[in-house]
Amino acid sequence: MAERAFNIRRLPGVATLAIGCFVILYIPMVILVGNSFNAGKVIGHWEGVSLHWYVAALHNEAFLAAAQTSLLLATLAALIATITATMAALATTRAADFRGQGAIHLIVNQPLMVPEIVLAIALLIILAQVKQATGYTGLGYLIAAHTTFCIPFAYMPIRARLEGMDLSLETAAADLYASRFYTFRRVTLPLLAPGILAGFMLAFVVSLDDVVMSDFLKSPGQETLPTYLMGELRRNLTSEIYAISSLLLLISVLIVAGSWAATRKKA
Amino acid sequence: MGEAPNTERDAQNADARQRWRLALPAVTIIMVFSILPLIVVVLYSVLTPGDYGNVRWVFSTEGWFSVLFERDIFDDTLSLSDAHLTILARSVGLSLLTTALTLIFGVPTAWFIATRPPAARAFWLFLVTIPFWTNLLVRTIAVQEMIRSEGVFNRLFLWLGLIDQPIQMMFTNFAVLLGMAYVFLPLMVLPVFAAVEKFDFRLAEAGYDLYASRLFCLRKVILPLVRPGIIAGSILVFVPSLGAYVTPRIMGGGKSMMLGNLIEMQFGQGRNWPLGAALSITLTLLVLIALIYYTRLTSGRQGRSHG
Amino acid sequence: MLDIRDLTKQFGKGDSAVTALHQVSLSIAEGEFFTLLGPSGCGKTTLLRLIAGFEPPSGGALVLDGKDIALMPPNQRPVNTVFQSYALFPHMTVAQNVGFALEAQGRPKAEVARVVEKMLALVQMTHLRDRKSAALSGGQQQRVALARALAPQPRILLLDEPLSALDMKLRKEMQVELKRLQQETGLTFIFVTHDQEEALTMSDRIAVMNGGRLQQIASPRELYDLPENRFVASFIGESNFLMAQKLAGMIEIEGSKTALPSGFAAAYDGPVIVMIRPEHVVLGQGPSDAIRLTAQVERLVYFGTDTHIHMRLRDGTPLVARVQNALRGGAIAKVGDSVPVAFPQDALRLLPDTEA
Repeated sequence: MAERAFNIRRLPGVATLAIGCFVILYIPMVILVGNSFNAGKVIGHWEGVSLHWYVAALHNEAFLAAAQTSLLLATLAALIATITATMAALATTRAADFRGQGAIHLIVNQPLMVPEIVLAIALLIILAQVKQATGYTGLGYLIAAHTTFCIPFAYMPIRARLEGMDLSLETAAADLYASRFYTFRRVTLPLLAPGILAGFMLAFVVSLDDVVMSDFLKSPGQETLPTYLMGELRRNLTSEIYAISSLLLLISVLIVAGSWAATRKKA
Repeated sequence: MGEAPNTERDAQNADARQRWRLALPAVTIIMVFSILPLIVVVLYSVLTPGDYGNVRWVFSTEGWFSVLFERDIFDDTLSLSDAHLTILARSVGLSLLTTALTLIFGVPTAWFIATRPPAARAFWLFLVTIPFWTNLLVRTIAVQEMIRSEGVFNRLFLWLGLIDQPIQMMFTNFAVLLGMAYVFLPLMVLPVFAAVEKFDFRLAEAGYDLYASRLFCLRKVILPLVRPGIIAGSILVFVPSLGAYVTPRIMGGGKSMMLGNLIEMQFGQGRNWPLGAALSITLTLLVLIALIYYTRLTSGRQGRSHG
Repeated sequence: MLDIRDLTKQFGKGDSAVTALHQVSLSIAEGEFFTLLGPSGCGKTTLLRLIAGFEPPSGGALVLDGKDIALMPPNQRPVNTVFQSYALFPHMTVAQNVGFALEAQGRPKAEVARVVEKMLALVQMTHLRDRKSAALSGGQQQRVALARALAPQPRILLLDEPLSALDMKLRKEMQVELKRLQQETGLTFIFVTHDQEEALTMSDRIAVMNGGRLQQIASPRELYDLPENRFVASFIGESNFLMAQKLAGMIEIEGSKTALPSGFAAAYDGPVIVMIRPEHVVLGQGPSDAIRLTAQVERLVYFGTDTHIHMRLRDGTPLVARVQNALRGGAIAKVGDSVPVAFPQDALRLLPDTEA
């Protein structure tokens, strides 16, 4: 007997479109990774499987420097953004409406409401002059810019976590003679930890992903991974670009799988 | 005036002050590195371009004029700036098309994922999350490989004998559209998925029980209830599409520019900072209009009566 | 009008398959208030979902008015459901909810409006017609759900524990209301509940289910007086179960004998289980054909109208008697007393089960 007579969850054509969607999402990425194993220099001329371009990339000083810059930048920006966003989230949640609460919320989310390119231009105008005046050309500009647009990303999951948290736990702690700081350290913070971790990860990835800000604000000679890749792309399309892209892809797969495993263990 | 209300108000004020102190670092960073620079952009939009980039501190509305108009070099007459209008129209048009395309593929995909059994659902969701977290530049490079002259499609078509010469697909509106739809697709799937997952399928059951055809049930029961997710997904795709810079730059080059690229040009070779500033504000306003429209759609009018 | 034949439903496949319905067969007559009664997980809701068409059966037939509808999609069956959660469309008003089915059928606007008004009047919800369904109380939602399901004039109305979410007082009111509606409309109701009292007070006939199997189909009175097995006896009302020996047309409990009650001609002799309701246990000598034993009083529980006397027979079997409280009666018995108890012969029921 036909068990599939009528299924309310099934809509005609949906499965086909969905599978099509996954194929469309993955074919370009699979081809990209495939090309990275090409022994030949020119893309499209297959000369056998080889790890040559990965080896080349790992011996490429410019690439390594860019990777180092990116990681340092993402770590610092995400760290500062997460700390300040946690404080801001603590300030805007779990209170009777106080004056300026909406304003803080709006300010913290403001970078999300402006296109990245506009923010990059705005910062370029100011920082170019600061650069000229001070002569400082270090990573500070990028750290400041990245921190700025990372704050709302870190803020979102932390605030969501705080809003979903059971206030009575803190009241219970206070009832058990815990001081405010002790309560925060032993009750609030551990409960908030998954939100803070999610916020940090989001900020880290967003910073690592950024092309526009870095491209506009970097000083001469400074490169992050995406700007390095962008520069290489302007020059020439080589298999090395695909190897580097595949490495970046691998990083995101690892991050997603890692956070997946972490949430699985919790559940 | 008794004592008690005052003490209570004092306590409230103290609490508010402490909360402001807590938020101060984040607020300061954003004030200094986002809001202040944006104010400077507004200021720059009404100044006179400098000779080598930058501005001269002379008031001028020329920057704003140039957003839509061109001044003839010889007789100073004004005419609509075709180049800018084309780019403006392309930006809005391609963003709308991108939203439409991601809707067509994203909504069924979200539905598909949300209706899998829990274990399978986690797997499919995982597959959407990977591109979501993957570098935008990397994903743009991946689509580029599909359609460039020596790319996958052209080689496939040549091999099949469908064409004699590679088709030029790069640096066209089509290429930009394809690139943006590809990179922004996960942004559509995830919020729609969240909405479908929350949908109470007993309501669909009730619909079918009450003689609704699949289409009627979809139109009258399912779509109105997953609408918030669809609107959220649309705005999440439309807004970054409008301000896109990287994808149109790689896929469209100089031939199929969007607003973001036009803005960048004013600070590079074009060197008209006031115009660039005015264009930046225009773009920001377009985004704000979309966001305000979004909040209008989601609050208040939810599930308006029909029939 | 509705014939269910050997209806079977399995969920899952292979080793992990769970059979929710084992070859259920029953017939429901036109205009009947038919109740499916059983504990949660007994298959009553699955059966209802099969009748509604939300799940396809794994085997068997579902014949409505001479036509097998087992595989007919739910939107073509002339059967409507009142859902346990009500499943009112939260984005629609009360009137839009009630008119949904008619609109789905493409009826003319005027007709939809007319029927909606009629239905709203029937459930006394006219004054709230433009309220969003989410803004209604539980009892009001219940009425709207009822009106919505009645509006398209189904052949059968299915009700899936529709009163379980209401508080006690409201539930009693709705029980009366539902019965009134059913009698007024003359519609066939199939009502699912786990509440025996609800089932007994409202139904024409009740099907008791357990473990995906039909246990007994009977009128409320028959079900209470003549339960066919131990499950039915214990699920409906309270019962004492006693080990007995059956021998040559007699039954014997702890040495006291009486003739086998009529209608219990079990084929073989040996140990049997005998059931007696607490209100039929007599404290004292009882009629001459009664089984007479002695029990020790362990606990007295006062219930206002009556007192429950918890006792133990000599072999340790627990026994409860329910004795009506007299207006000025003294203590019926004291804890620790040994009292004579009698089981009148016509109150004894022989059950086919072999385990006590």
